[in-house]
Amino acid sequence: MNHRLSRFRFLALIAIFALIAAACSGDDDTTTGDDTGDTTADTDAPATTQAAGDMQFDGVEVEVLTFTGPQIAEPLQRRAPDFEALTGARVNVTTVPFSELFQNILTDAATGTNSFDAWVFAPQWLVDFAIPGYVEDLTDRVNNDPDIAWDDVAPFFRDFSATYEGTIRAIPLDGDFHMVYYRTDVLEAAGLEPPQTWDDYLAVAAAVNGQDMNEDGEADYGSCISKARGQQSYWWITSIAAPFIQSQGTASGAFFDLETFDPLVNNEGFIRALEIYGETGDYGPPDESNLGVGDTRGLFTAGRCALTLDWGDIGTLALDPETSVVQDKVGAVITPGSTQVIDDSGALVDCDDTTCPFAINGVNHAPFASFGGWSGGINAAADPQVKDAAFAFLSYMTQPEQANSDVTIGITGFNPYRVSQFENMDLWLEAGMSEAAADSYLGAIADSLNNPNMVLDLRVPQNQRYQQTVLDTILAQFVAGELTAAEAAAEIFSQWQEITEELGRDAQLAAYKSTLGS
Amino acid sequence: MSTAPTELRETAAGATRRRSALGLSRRSTVGVYVVLIFWTLVVLFPIYWIATTSLKSPLDVNSGPVYLPGVDYEPTLDAWDWALNTEGNQTRRAFVNTLVVGVVSAVITVAVGAAASYGLSRMQYRPRLSSVAAFIGSGVLAVFLIVLGLPWPTAVLVWTAVFAASVATWARRYQFRLTNDDIAFWLISQRILPPIAIVLPLFVFFQQIDLLDTQLALIITYVGANLPIAIWLLRDFFANIPIDLEEAAAIEGATRFQALRKIILPLAVPGLVATFLFILVFAWNEFLIATVLSSADAQTMPLLVVSQNATRGPQWWNMSVLIIIMSVPVIAMAIFLERYIARGLLVGAVKH
Amino acid sequence: MALPDAIDARRAPRSAGERTLFPREASTRRLLTSPAVVLVILLSIFPLIISAYLAFSRFQFVSDGFDITFTGLDNFRKLLTGSQSRRFVGRIGTIPWWGWLALVGFVGSMAWTGVRAVRSAPAKRVRIAVSRSVVTIAGTALLALMIQTLQGDGLPGSVVVTLVFVLAGVALQYTLGLGLAMAASQPLRGKRFFRAVFLIPMTITPVGAAYMFRMISDTGKGPLEPLWSFFFGAGQYTWVDNPWGARIAIIVADTWQWTPFMFIILVAAVESVPDALLEAAKVDGAKAWHQFRYVTLPMIAPVSLTLLLIRSIEAFKIIDLPQVLTGGGPGTATESLALGAVLEWRALNLGGSAAISYAMLVLTTFFALILVNYGHRRAVAAIS
Repeated sequence: MNHRLSRFRFLALIAIFALIAAACSGDDDTTTGDDTGDTTADTDAPATTQAAGDMQFDGVEVEVLTFTGPQIAEPLQRRAPDFEALTGARVNVTTVPFSELFQNILTDAATGTNSFDAWVFAPQWLVDFAIPGYVEDLTDRVNNDPDIAWDDVAPFFRDFSATYEGTIRAIPLDGDFHMVYYRTDVLEAAGLEPPQTWDDYLAVAAAVNGQDMNEDGEADYGSCISKARGQQSYWWITSIAAPFIQSQGTASGAFFDLETFDPLVNNEGFIRALEIYGETGDYGPPDESNLGVGDTRGLFTAGRCALTLDWGDIGTLALDPETSVVQDKVGAVITPGSTQVIDDSGALVDCDDTTCPFAINGVNHAPFASFGGWSGGINAAADPQVKDAAFAFLSYMTQPEQANSDVTIGITGFNPYRVSQFENMDLWLEAGMSEAAADSYLGAIADSLNNPNMVLDLRVPQNQRYQQTVLDTILAQFVAGELTAAEAAAEIFSQWQEITEELGRDAQLAAYKSTLGS
Repeated sequence: MSTAPTELRETAAGATRRRSALGLSRRSTVGVYVVLIFWTLVVLFPIYWIATTSLKSPLDVNSGPVYLPGVDYEPTLDAWDWALNTEGNQTRRAFVNTLVVGVVSAVITVAVGAAASYGLSRMQYRPRLSSVAAFIGSGVLAVFLIVLGLPWPTAVLVWTAVFAASVATWARRYQFRLTNDDIAFWLISQRILPPIAIVLPLFVFFQQIDLLDTQLALIITYVGANLPIAIWLLRDFFANIPIDLEEAAAIEGATRFQALRKIILPLAVPGLVATFLFILVFAWNEFLIATVLSSADAQTMPLLVVSQNATRGPQWWNMSVLIIIMSVPVIAMAIFLERYIARGLLVGAVKH
Repeated sequence: MALPDAIDARRAPRSAGERTLFPREASTRRLLTSPAVVLVILLSIFPLIISAYLAFSRFQFVSDGFDITFTGLDNFRKLLTGSQSRRFVGRIGTIPWWGWLALVGFVGSMAWTGVRAVRSAPAKRVRIAVSRSVVTIAGTALLALMIQTLQGDGLPGSVVVTLVFVLAGVALQYTLGLGLAMAASQPLRGKRFFRAVFLIPMTITPVGAAYMFRMISDTGKGPLEPLWSFFFGAGQYTWVDNPWGARIAIIVADTWQWTPFMFIILVAAVESVPDALLEAAKVDGAKAWHQFRYVTLPMIAPVSLTLLLIRSIEAFKIIDLPQVLTGGGPGTATESLALGAVLEWRALNLGGSAAISYAMLVLTTFFALILVNYGHRRAVAAIS
C-alpha cells in the first residue's frame, strides 16, 4: 500500500512537472518565431512602400487591430479589398471594444504574443508603446514615400501627435480636437453671438435653456456635455481648463509643470474650469451625469441642444437626414478661451502680450487635440515584409486620394487632419454641406489647427491612471456633489503626485518633455 | 432524508394530486394566478422590449418610446440584415465559439465534477494538513524564485523537490488530517475567488503555451471556474442516492465501475442534466474572462454584444438582435429540460 | 489543499461508518477526485499565489516585458488609509443615536448567544470564545462602517456599496423566489408553463441583461417614459443623478436576473416537504400561514441557507450591471469592489487591482463562514 502510494505521488509530480515544462517550452517557441505572418510568401519582390499595382505583397497577410466601430474599423475594412487588389496584401481587421483596446495592444506586445502586425490606436498611448520599443520607427519609411504627402498633414499632427522624441511612430488617419457647436437658428433668434470664452458659453446656454428647439413642444437644453463616469469627462475638463492654464504655446503643456512635474490642477484656473464644467450641467439634460458622447451627439442631431462640445464628428453627423433634424442649422467655433490665465503662483491674471502671446482679441484659446486622432502604428516585432505591407496599407489609407473623401463621411469617424482637407471646400459641398455650414465648420477647424497654442494630450507612461482612473473618478464625484471644486482639485493634485512618485518623477518628466518636444 | 429516490420522485409527482386534497379556496386560486401572471409579465416585458427594438430603425429608438411594430412604428429588418448578412461572418464565428466553448466546457465540468462528487460522497479522504501546507509553501517559494529571475523549469523543480522533501520529513510528524467535508468546502469555496484575481496569471500562462485567443483556453478556464458549482450541486445529489443499491451490487460481485454504470448513472441522470444546464448557462454567458483571454478568433457572443456600444452610443437595435440570437438556444433548452431541472435539483436540494 | 497524493488514506483510522465494498478501492478513490483537485490547483491556487504577489507589488511595463517591484503593504495602505480610501472605505460620518443602539444591540446579542453557546458545550469553550470574538469584532466594524457611511454626512465606499448590493439584492431575490415557489407549487393548471417562463431571465447573458435594463430604465426614450412624464413632467426626471436611484436600478435588474435561480431550487424544496406533515398541521387546525411558518419554512431552511450562501458569493462579484448601467456613478455611488478592481486593472495598475481582489476575497470568505457556521448549523438543528 505504502509503496503504491509513493509511486503514485511520483507520477503525479511528473505529470505536473511535464505540464509546466510544456508551458516553458512553449515560451521558447514564441520568442524565437512568433511570425504569425505568412513566411512562405515569396520574398523576391524588394520591399518598397509605394502602393503601386504590381502585387508586390502577394500572399502577405497583415493583421490589424482596432476598436469595434463602425467608426475607424469601417473605412479600414471597406478599403482593405481595394488595397489587396492593388498590392496583393490581405488585410484582416480585428476589432475589440474600445475599453479593451489599450490593454489588448499592450499585453499583446509586452508578452510577445504579437498576434497583430499593426494597431490603429489613440496617439495618446504612443508613449506607453514607444518607450518599451513596441512600435516601429517609421521616419525613413515616411521620408521615402512621396505618395503619403506628409507635408500636407497639419503641422500639429506631424510634429506632435505622430512623433515621439523626433521620430515618426504613427501615421495619422484622423484629426481629433474639440470644437464648440452651436445652433445657428437658435442663437440668431435670441440675438446672441457664438461664444468666444467659457463665460460666454455659460451665458448663451443660460439664455436659451428651456426653449423648444426642434418644434416638438418640449423644452430643450442650453448645453449638452456628456458627464458619465468612464466616458469622456476627463477630455472635456481639459478643454475647459486649458485656456486658463496653457498660454505659451503647445510646448508649454497644460498638465504638468515642466520643471517640477507638479500637476497644474491645484490653481485658480483649474478650479474655475471645474466650476464652469459643473455649471454647464445646470443647462443640460437631467441625466447628463449618465450620458456618454454618443448620447449627446444623438441629442444634438435630434435638435435638443443649443450648444455642445465635441470632436469634429458632429459636422458630418448633422448632415445625415436619417439621424439628423438640424441640417444647415449647425455652426462651429474654436473651443472657447479665457481672458485670464494663471501665473506661476497659480493665481488668475488678465491677459496681456506677455501672459497670452497667442491671444486673439484678448482671448487666450487653447484648442485641445484630445485623443489626437486615430493613428496607425506598426508592431516592431512583426516580420519585415509584413511591416512593409502594413506601412503601405497605412500610407494608402492616409493618402489624400482616399483620406480626403473618407473625412467627409460621417460613419468613418475620420475628421480632417490635412491642410488640403480644410482648404478644399468642394469636398464638403459634395458631401452635402451648405456653403455657410462648410465655411463655419472648416473655419473652426482652421482656427484650431493653426493655433500655435494647441494642447497636446497628456502623454506620459500610464497616463490612463492619471486620467481614466483618477481624473475621471474625481470628476464624477464632483458632478455628483461628493466633492467641492476646491476639494476635487486638491484631490487630483495629491493622487497625481502619488502616481508620479510611484512611477518615478524623473522618468515621467523626461517622457512628458520628449512628447512636447521641449 | 434517506428516502429512496423512487419514493422521492413519487412525492414530487404525487404532490399535485395529494395537495389538491389540501385544497385552495377559489379566492386564493385567483390570487395565486394574479401573482404568477404578474411575474410572467415582469419576466417577459424586457424580452418583448428587445424583440421590438430589434425591429426598429435608429430614429425610432432615439425619438422616444414606441411600442407596437406596425402600429406606432414601421418595423424594419435592417438590424437583422446587419447581423446575419453584413456582419454575418462575425456573428457566425462568435456563435460557433460560444456554442463550442459552452457545450464542451459544460460537459467536461459535469464529468469531472460528478466523479469528484461521487468520490466524496462514497469514500473517505484523509489528506494531511501538513502536506497541504508544504505544497502551498513550496509553491510560494517557487513563485518568489521566478520573480527573482529563476527560469520556470528550475523553479518548478525546486517546488517539487522542496515539497517532496517536506512531505518526507517534517510534514510526517503532524497528524492533523482533513475530512471529506473540508475537501468539499475547499473545492466549493474556490467559487469565492474574484475572477479578476486569477485571470491575469492565466493570461500569462496561456500566452506562454501559445493558447491565447483559442477556444481551448476558454474551455479550460471555464472548467476551472465552474467546477465548484458542479461539485456543490452534485455532491448532495449523490449523497442522497442510497448506498444500499451498491452494496447489493457488491454482494453480487460487481466491480465499482460496473455498479456505477449500471446503477448509479441511470439514477443520476436528472441531477447531471440539471447541473449541465446551470454550468452551460454560466459558461455561455460569461464576459469578463472572455474579454481577457480572447480577442478575435475565440470571440464569444457576450463580447460581440458589448462591442455594439461604440463611440456613437450603444447600437441598441444591433445589440438586441445579438442578444436574441444568443439567448434563444439556451432558453429553448431550459424550457425543454425544465422537467429534469426540477427532478435533478429536488434530490440535491432537500439534503442539508 | 494539495496534490492528489495528499489525499491519502494510509494511516487514517478507519471510521466505523466506512465500508469497503469493492476491490481496489484505493486507486479508484484517487482516480475520482484527482482531476478536480488538479484542475483547481492549476487554475485557481496557482494564479491566486501569483496575484497575491501582485497585490504586494507594483507592476510596470518596461522595454523587455514587465517589471514587478515589491512594495509590501503599500497597495493595501492606499485602500484603507491612503489616497484610495475615500473610494474604497468611503467618507466616514458620525454615528447617530440609533446607530449606537444598533451596534450595542448587535454586540449584546452576540455576547448573549455566545454565553449560551459556551454553556451548552463547555468542552469547546475556548474555540467558541475565540471564533465568536472574531466574528463580533469584524461584524461590529462592518456594521459601524455601514452606519457611518450610509447616513448623514458620510459617503459609502465600494465595500459598503457592494454589501448593499449583496444584502438587498439577495434578500429581495430570496423573498420573491420563495413567494413564487409557493405560488408555483400549488395545484394549478399551467404551472409548468409558469415554471419554464420564470427560468428565462437566468439564461440571458448578464451584460445583455444590463443593456436591456439600461434601455428600459432610460427616462427619456425607454418604455416607461410616459410614467415618468406623468409623475414628474416631461424630461424632468432621472434616476441616475440620485445615488439611491442608481443603486435601486441596479438592485432591480439584479433581482430580475437572479430570482429564477432562487425560484427553481426553492420550488424543488417546497414540493419535497412531505404532505403528511402539512396534512397533520391542517388537521390540527393550522391556518395556511401557520403551515408555512411552522412546517414548510423549517423544512426548507437548510436548502435556503445553502442557496443564500451560493447566491451571496456570486453577488459579491457583481460587476456587469453597475458597469453598464451607471459606470459606477453618480460619483462613486454604485462602484462595486469588482468594478473597482477592473477599472484599476484596465489602467494597468495590476497591484492595486489585485489588492482590491484580495480585500474582496477576505470579505466574501468572512461572510460565507458566518453563514455556514451560524445559519446552517442552526437550520440543521431546527429540522432535526
